[in-house]
Amino acid sequence: MNDGNQENLKELFEKFLDAEQAESCAEDVQKAEQILREHPAPEPDDMLIANIKAEIAMRLPAGRTYVFKQIAYKVVGIAAAVIILTAIGLRLFEKGNGEPGPVVYASIISTAIWESDDIAAVDANLAIFTVEIEQIENELLALRLGEDDGNGDRSVTELEMELIQINSDFWKG
Amino acid sequence: MTKSDDLAQIIIGCKNKDSKCFSQIVDMYASRCYGYFYRLTGNNDLSDELLSELFVKLVEKIGSYKGGSFEGWLFKIASNIFYDYLRAKQRREKLLDVQKKQIESQITEPKQSDNEQIDKLQIQLRKLDTDTRELIMLRFYSQLSFKEIAVIRSEPIGTTLAKLHRGLKKLRELMK
Repeated sequence: MNDGNQENLKELFEKFLDAEQAESCAEDVQKAEQILREHPAPEPDDMLIANIKAEIAMRLPAGRTYVFKQIAYKVVGIAAAVIILTAIGLRLFEKGNGEPGPVVYASIISTAIWESDDIAAVDANLAIFTVEIEQIENELLALRLGEDDGNGDRSVTELEMELIQINSDFWKG
Repeated sequence: MTKSDDLAQIIIGCKNKDSKCFSQIVDMYASRCYGYFYRLTGNNDLSDELLSELFVKLVEKIGSYKGGSFEGWLFKIASNIFYDYLRAKQRREKLLDVQKKQIESQITEPKQSDNEQIDKLQIQLRKLDTDTRELIMLRFYSQLSFKEIAVIRSEPIGTTLAKLHRGLKKLRELMK
């Protein structure tokens, strides 16, 4: 035993001791280790070695199962994530190609107009409203420019009331 | 292919959970590790137990071996197993309120089986303290360099050299 270690003991001891002491120490170590070689320890029993190998073999499949389980969990996790993402993607895609949803113009133009199926009637109403608004605007302008018909403030108030009325009718559809 | 290349291949096999490679490691190191445990405990049954524990630990920890001296790594585990055993024994003994010195003598006191013969060396080894005995056996059975032993024991190489020289000199005197 100990043949594999080819250290130069004297050189090693010389790092800490003088040459003479180092030589003596190296000799002490070598002689003592010779005693150990002359008294070998008993060898392990063959049955013990067989039992150890059997125990190792028993433990290894458990390790493999554990590794397999870890891989399986990862694969299942990734598959689930892919399925969820695909489902979300398809849903979005279907929405993108489908019928357009209701246009949200209600806050600007009356919903009744947008939802009406009678385009001709809606167009006629819009034309009437437009003409009325233009007429009122002209009257307001004339009043402001001093082309009063004698009614003074009352005429302006009446016109404003009329404008509000038209506006209200317009938004009601 | 060199011996170290062979060992490297076997270790790779062990890391891949190849039972044949573990069997090869057992064949390669069982004798030396058994000698190490036997010289420390002086007891065959206990050495059997510790050797089994060592190889079970090897299976569990082979993934943490990151290269370097395999013997150094293996004997570090062996050393830890021995000291763990000592500590467990001491804890048990403390519960029974027995003196520490008595524990030491009980640990080294071989409980022989009927056909077991204790050699002179084993008798003299009992007279050395546990730490010195462990150092001598680590050096002899692991075949590690002093530098590697110092690393395992987390002490300066000069300390390792001095302790080993003192221990071996004493053993030589005892064996005369």
